[in-house]
Amino acid sequence: MTEINLSWPKNYNEVPKEAFVRKDIYAEEVKRIFHGTEWHPVAHESELPNPGDFKTFRLAGVPLLIGRDVEGVVRVFYNACSHRGNQLETAIMGNKTEFECPYHRWLFDSKGDLVGCPNPREFLPGFNKADYPLAQPRFDIYFGLIFVTLSAETEPLLEYLGDSQNCLRELLAGDGRLKLLGYQKVRYDTNWKSYTDNDGYHAPLLHQAFKMLNWQGGKGRQYTATHRGHICFESALSVATGPSVLKDKSLIEFKGQDPAVGSRIVSLFPTFVSTKHLDVINLRFATPIDAETVEVHYAYFAHQDDDEDMVRHRLRQSSNLLGPCGLISMEDASVFHRIHIGNHTPGSAIFQKGVHDPLKLESEFLQNDESGNLPRWEYYRSVMGFERATV
Amino acid sequence: MMQTDTSLEAALNALLLADAHALDSKDMPGWLGNYADEEAAAYYCRSAENSEHGLALGFMYDDCRARLEDRVTFVNDIWAGTFQDYRTRHFVQLTSFDRVDATTLEMRSNFSVFMTPKDSGITQVLAAGQYLDTVRQDKNGELKLLSRRAELDTSVLPRYLVYPI
Ligand code: FES
Ligand SMILES: [Fe+2]
Repeated sequence: MTEINLSWPKNYNEVPKEAFVRKDIYAEEVKRIFHGTEWHPVAHESELPNPGDFKTFRLAGVPLLIGRDVEGVVRVFYNACSHRGNQLETAIMGNKTEFECPYHRWLFDSKGDLVGCPNPREFLPGFNKADYPLAQPRFDIYFGLIFVTLSAETEPLLEYLGDSQNCLRELLAGDGRLKLLGYQKVRYDTNWKSYTDNDGYHAPLLHQAFKMLNWQGGKGRQYTATHRGHICFESALSVATGPSVLKDKSLIEFKGQDPAVGSRIVSLFPTFVSTKHLDVINLRFATPIDAETVEVHYAYFAHQDDDEDMVRHRLRQSSNLLGPCGLISMEDASVFHRIHIGNHTPGSAIFQKGVHDPLKLESEFLQNDESGNLPRWEYYRSVMGFERATV
Repeated sequence: MMQTDTSLEAALNALLLADAHALDSKDMPGWLGNYADEEAAAYYCRSAENSEHGLALGFMYDDCRARLEDRVTFVNDIWAGTFQDYRTRHFVQLTSFDRVDATTLEMRSNFSVFMTPKDSGITQVLAAGQYLDTVRQDKNGELKLLSRRAELDTSVLPRYLVYPI
């Protein structure tokens, strides 16, 4: 770890804008956070429903191969050949029971074992294929959601999730038995922290849509889980009533069984945001590309028990409601860019709504409070080793 | 009226250009006007990656006339004043067409779309891909889009989308 200096304000509701733009800080974040003691969701099992299905993903540059072996067991590997380290699989997703590295033709089975390599007699004396399986990061699965950590020291996943578990389980339709509908992928010109600071947290004033659709926000609860400041939102589902400007109202219709289940948002440190809103189930797998770019894969799901009509409804709603061109979220996406430009100015970003005392951290918030992000900022500050000013 | 292949091709090209023009002018009623006045009129925008994996989810999924009309409302009314605007230039090139029946044609074309955010002034590629269109020909020979699928080679967009591609 390298010591880097950034003077952090005394008040909990102030975040120095430098933290969003300095390249030296970003390099340190990759080490301490993305390669450090955090769990990162990288896929949901339902993206790989059949034996041999795989998906590749880069977590802050680290290439991963997430696959279901021929016996149906989900495994995560580093997507690099155990010989010279060549990137093993180049497809984003697919189905294979064997992976062949084209460089020197080493062949791996779906369990990651090296099952063939030409001319091993020319190799080091005593060479044994069994010593060269694909390397694996630590991974664990919660209701189908696959998490990876690149550190041996990270606490067990359930402990990491803490009090966010229940909200996350409900968001994953209660049982995690999902069915993939597809992806919307996008890069935002913003620091990853500006993305997570402004995704999930809802700025209702930004959204004309709510007024025009006669849609009141549902009453809800926002709370913090664990010292990492994971953020959970639980709110009763509100459905638009009265006249609306939409000709096709199915876009904001709720056809689910149980409105009491309501809306859920779970935002886990550092970059994961997930939401269940109306009939949309959306997991956002995000990774920083560099200090000024974050890539987000919005993955959308139906439930395995849905009938054909419900799948179709979810598909139509998911495509047009949330995400980088969604009716009630396109403006959020635009804000990510503008926040990043604004962050190249001196001083701090100042959180106001819901802050009662700038010298205290709270853990229960109202639905639209900005202060819900502050416990996470305090955790970030401590991981990065930035000293908080005393005056 | 029977048309020769050359005049049909010219008419299809005119339709492609009319749509590019409407989009680049941010003329959403003009964009809607390029679609047939039928309940089934549709516009989809999705990545070829999704399509290749049998995933129907899109960036935009306007599978009926009502949704096309709502798309105009999104851009002109609901989102007005909330986003960082950008210019686009669509380049389209007809690659093939086939007659399906007396009133229906299918055509494919390539597109590339440049975008220039107003604030940065830096031009970059927004998306490249192909349009898979079904075209309606009315009694007077006039052509309208019955359905268009903008299938994007660009599976990772460089930013959010306000306007259809
Ligand atoms: S690097 Fe893969 S076989 Fe040599
Ligand atoms: Fe929003």
